[in-house]
Amino acid sequence: MAVSLGSTGSVRLLSALARSGSLCSSPGVRGLHVTAVCCKNRAARTQVGKGDKPLTYEQALPPHYIGHRKGWLSQHTGNLKGEEGAAERTVEDTFIRRFMFGTFHGCLANEIVIKRRGNVLVVCALLLQKHSPQKFYFLIGYSESLLSYFYKCPVKLEIQTLQDKVVYKYI
Amino acid sequence: MMPLSQGPRLGACSGHRKCNTTSSHFPLTSSTSFHTATVFSSVASSIQVTEEPDTLFQKVSIIVKGHDRAVLDSYELFATMAAKELSITISKVYEPPRDVERLTLLKSVHIFKKHRVQYEMRTHYRCIELSHLTGCTAQVYLEYIQRNLPEGVAMEVTKTAIEKVPDHILEPTWKDHPIDDKPSQ
Repeated sequence: MAVSLGSTGSVRLLSALARSGSLCSSPGVRGLHVTAVCCKNRAARTQVGKGDKPLTYEQALPPHYIGHRKGWLSQHTGNLKGEEGAAERTVEDTFIRRFMFGTFHGCLANEIVIKRRGNVLVVCALLLQKHSPQKFYFLIGYSESLLSYFYKCPVKLEIQTLQDKVVYKYI
Repeated sequence: MMPLSQGPRLGACSGHRKCNTTSSHFPLTSSTSFHTATVFSSVASSIQVTEEPDTLFQKVSIIVKGHDRAVLDSYELFATMAAKELSITISKVYEPPRDVERLTLLKSVHIFKKHRVQYEMRTHYRCIELSHLTGCTAQVYLEYIQRNLPEGVAMEVTKTAIEKVPDHILEPTWKDHPIDDKPSQ
């Protein structure tokens, strides 16, 4: 929650006083360490729990490891220097992720990877084997044709199936 | 200079086939593993023979940009191997310094001006310069290179063409029309 004593400036002063106070061991001043609401980063990080929550590799690593230990989930040229169209690609990506999440509900093992090569949109997904292959073939064909009519470009789905989600660690 | 980058464009796609492989050990159970892969195949264009002379390029400079340096490394290896196979002279392969675009934004939705968050977007470059090639060779090589461009990588091609000097400036004009010099007063 927010600091109840006032602004962070006064809190820092108090803790500085407390530290100097502890060195010369004067009574009556106690250290109080509070952080303002926004000091810690919480983006794309799963908070530590009891040890029973399974996490995939993608979920376990925080976003500052992108480019070092993680790869990119959506690959296009919009964000390069001197290239345009970043916002349109992002909107398309968001729609495709929601669409795939809804079409293959409960069957997605991991996040979807979207690649753009030339005119073609390649959507790579890992699925769990919850239904028969015939049902999956229908869903794949349905999503490919619907997305290609929607975005006016060839859309291809690259699917691999797994038995279970691959767990990297438990939090 | 023609920038080549990805994005949805209206146009006919080259013929593509999809190969489905289903491997099922027990054909009656529902849990069978399968995966789908995409195959890009193109129609081979016919060879055209024309009488007009081919354009000559003194320098063709290919600059590839990407977010991932390892991808650019492997693409450079691929491009240089392809050029060696086609016996194209590579004059220079170098890496221009990277560009980093940094954004400093407010961390919170409402207040807390002192707490910001910083993002950066890194663009790495790689430049391959080829020298002294004909128009047909350049066309074939560039088409091969561009068809195999990885996702998330953009390419800019700059071609410097050689043209024959026009006839009207081959000879200096003062030889045909001698100017009478009047002594200045």
